[in-house]
Amino acid sequence: MNTEVVIQTRNLTKIYRDFWGRKKVRALNSLTLDVRKGEVFGLLGPNGSGKTTSIKLMLGLLFPSEGEVSILGNPAGDVNTNERIGYLPEESYLYRFLNAEETLDFYGRLFNMPANVRRDRAKQLIERVGLQAARKRQLREYSKGMTRRIGLAQALINDPDLILLDEPTSGLDPIGSRDMKDLIVKLKEEGKTVLMCSHLLADVQDVCDRIAILDGGELKVFGRVDELLKEQDVTQIRASRLSEQAIKDVEAVLTKHGAKFEIDHPTTSLEDLFIKTVRESAARPGQRYVPPGTTPQPSKSN
Amino acid sequence: MLTFDQLPFDVVAGLLHWLGVCGALLVVILITTTAISLATMGLTGPLFVLQQLVAGATDFAKTSPRRVGALTVLAIREAFRKKTLYVFYVFLALFLFAGWFLPNSNEDPELRIREHVSFVLRTLSWVMLPVSLLLSCWSLPDDIKARSLHTVVTKPVRRNEIVFGRILGIGAVASLILFLVGGIGYIWIIRQLPPAAREMLTARVPIWVAPDPPDAKDEWSQRRFRFIGRDGKPEATGINTGDEYMFRSYIEGNSQARAIYRFERLTSRIPADTQEIELESAFQVFRIHKGNIERGIMCQFTLVNEAKKLRASLKPFEVREFRGNRIKIPRQLKDEDDKDVDLLRDLIADGTLEVHAQCITPGQYLGMARPDLFLRTPDRPFFVSYTKGVAGIWMMMVMLTVMGVMASCFAKGPVATLFTAAMWGFGRMAHNFMGELTGKIELAPGTTWQGGGPFESIWRIIAHITPSVPLEDSFGTRVVQFIDGGIIKLIAAVQYIIPDFRIFNLAEYVANGFDVPFDVALLRGLATTLGYAVPWIVVGYFSLKLRELEAK
Ligand SMILES: Nc1ncnc2c1ncn2[C@@H]1O[C@H](COP(=O)(O)OP(=O)(O)OP(=O)(O)O)[C@@H](O)[C@H]1O
Ligand SMILES: [Mg+2]
Repeated sequence: MNTEVVIQTRNLTKIYRDFWGRKKVRALNSLTLDVRKGEVFGLLGPNGSGKTTSIKLMLGLLFPSEGEVSILGNPAGDVNTNERIGYLPEESYLYRFLNAEETLDFYGRLFNMPANVRRDRAKQLIERVGLQAARKRQLREYSKGMTRRIGLAQALINDPDLILLDEPTSGLDPIGSRDMKDLIVKLKEEGKTVLMCSHLLADVQDVCDRIAILDGGELKVFGRVDELLKEQDVTQIRASRLSEQAIKDVEAVLTKHGAKFEIDHPTTSLEDLFIKTVRESAARPGQRYVPPGTTPQPSKSN
Repeated sequence: MLTFDQLPFDVVAGLLHWLGVCGALLVVILITTTAISLATMGLTGPLFVLQQLVAGATDFAKTSPRRVGALTVLAIREAFRKKTLYVFYVFLALFLFAGWFLPNSNEDPELRIREHVSFVLRTLSWVMLPVSLLLSCWSLPDDIKARSLHTVVTKPVRRNEIVFGRILGIGAVASLILFLVGGIGYIWIIRQLPPAAREMLTARVPIWVAPDPPDAKDEWSQRRFRFIGRDGKPEATGINTGDEYMFRSYIEGNSQARAIYRFERLTSRIPADTQEIELESAFQVFRIHKGNIERGIMCQFTLVNEAKKLRASLKPFEVREFRGNRIKIPRQLKDEDDKDVDLLRDLIADGTLEVHAQCITPGQYLGMARPDLFLRTPDRPFFVSYTKGVAGIWMMMVMLTVMGVMASCFAKGPVATLFTAAMWGFGRMAHNFMGELTGKIELAPGTTWQGGGPFESIWRIIAHITPSVPLEDSFGTRVVQFIDGGIIKLIAAVQYIIPDFRIFNLAEYVANGFDVPFDVALLRGLATTLGYAVPWIVVGYFSLKLRELEAK
């Protein structure tokens, strides 16, 4: 694992203020994390937990109220850094009066690259996101998923080293989300760094190396996905087509050894973790929830 | 005829003045920002200010034409595709129909020309106002509101490139519109005018008497336009016949009174093989008795070369009121002793020609101002002066565009529009008043504003003291005058911040059949446009850079 840090935040805090400078919301509170080169990093959390705010702070679209953020070694919003960044906003904020080709050409021109490279890449990307048929239509006529696709193409126009995706799969059809997942994996293989927010936990679990879960602007969970999901004091037995009798036998054995257990059908475990985190955080606000397995301290388990 | 003096624009003095004003402004801004940053950020504040200045300088130095080009094309596409331009059609329709309501009663072709030309040019500027406001004040705020700017600023784009792109794109679209509407206006003038008037369309190229040098205020003989009173004594002006605003002053007939016009630097402007020179005058007549109603008031010119002691009188002529007279001066003239004199070789030998104008009808008066007498060099086609008139509107449009884009960098669409429109309105209307109040403009020769600033005026109204009576020297008077002095200084500062939009209105030249002089009008307009555009772009850049692009 590469240890070069690509995004680093230190006590990053964002308080939204109104016109008069009065505090409205503390959207992000003292976020400290780092994203390393070559990994896929997932930023999770319920609605309004500060994911988009964090990404915007990293890009310099918002200015931190406190703390600092550096991205590719530079302060947020640096022009030279932006040459190497791709950003897919939460909703595709594009010019609705341009068509797909014009959009890619426009964004391509903003980068320092030769004209023929720009044209080739635009063509490839339109094919890659499956918009050949609609490439001459203005974006105002696009459906949500189509807009998402052109938004993704726009984020990749400069072949970026670091890609920030804010809910990349929202609005995409099942095949689209599948393609997105494949794309992220492929980007990782190419050695790129990806930071993504998503509510599709199964996808996150599949593609992300590390995750952070935010709630109410606070960092609740942070670490490697495989480690976070490994519960050391729980042993999982998986079996298929177990008969009633077999289950009773297993129960008898376990009881004999004095184990606490329950038997049901497995769920997506990141989903478990997520829900648990959010519940826990609601019960004990402000405190960082430490999931089992990350520290020797035992905690409540099923 | 023109009712204002022709002051050529002095580029070097203008530049120095501009540098002075910008420098002063910069110092004020630096002091306030440093103070604010110290108060809000502590000791790191000034460092932050310095960083921003360095970053700003870097951004401007590293501006990329490619990105500016892309952003310009974007702004052009936006203007066309968002259909903001519908306003153009609305005004075009207005323009076409309004012609029906132009007064048609007057058969005088010159008046018809004046009406038609000034109507078209006025309409043009009224079309360009909403076009440039709509395009420039709404584009960026819309972009911020839709957050499409987020996608742009996360690319390697400098904020000044965004500002440049908007200005260039919107400027291009507005220029295209002005070109179209201006073309339609030209065709409209040509087709709408009766044949007699159409033939008179022209652009006269006059040589006017230059303004007096600033240090000639007291030295009578140094003045280029001066008077001799009825008793033969030197005077700065003629007689005031009761006009409050004394642009023209009058000379009495059949007396020693005369107005002296001194034309200078003629050698380069009049070719050596010229056979005759035309003098055109537009004097006003003021009758104090009916006299012979059949005959007009008579006027006579005498050409004088003071150094060579040469005087040659021309034939008296009848003054055509409201029309002007054209008098041809032949090369060969007779002086007072009936000797032959050559106009170019003798009279204008040193490039200077003095023309003395006298009224010779007893008891009547002739009114004259500096632009009322001029030498005519070959005319240019009307198309030339019309194009220059449109160029004035174009410069106004550029000013509005730059100001609108600047305002939209820190304000939302409606606020930016209101701000720009207000600046435009003030710029057209308030300068006269501000100039008078600060003593820059004389109400009449030698008379400036009387009655003090706002508080003194209020006091005078309450106490029933007329403006011309000085107040008694008391403590209260001094306090009031001190406060007023501050206010007037503030107004003097505001004069520099609000551009004088009147200078872009060149319609008076075109409508009166004059070519638009380059140094007096066009150069001044260009310099003003540039002079304001530069600081406005810088303000727009910093506003866009220092704000969060989050729509609230
Ligand atoms: N421009 C803004 N002005 C004021 N408050 C804002 C603004 N943008 C976001 N917020 C607030 O900040 C908090 C965090 O918002 P944010 O958009 O970061 O959430 P999120 O995690 O991206 O949520 P979602 O999953 O719904 O996208 C919310 O309480 C939101 O109301
Ligand atoms: Mg979000």
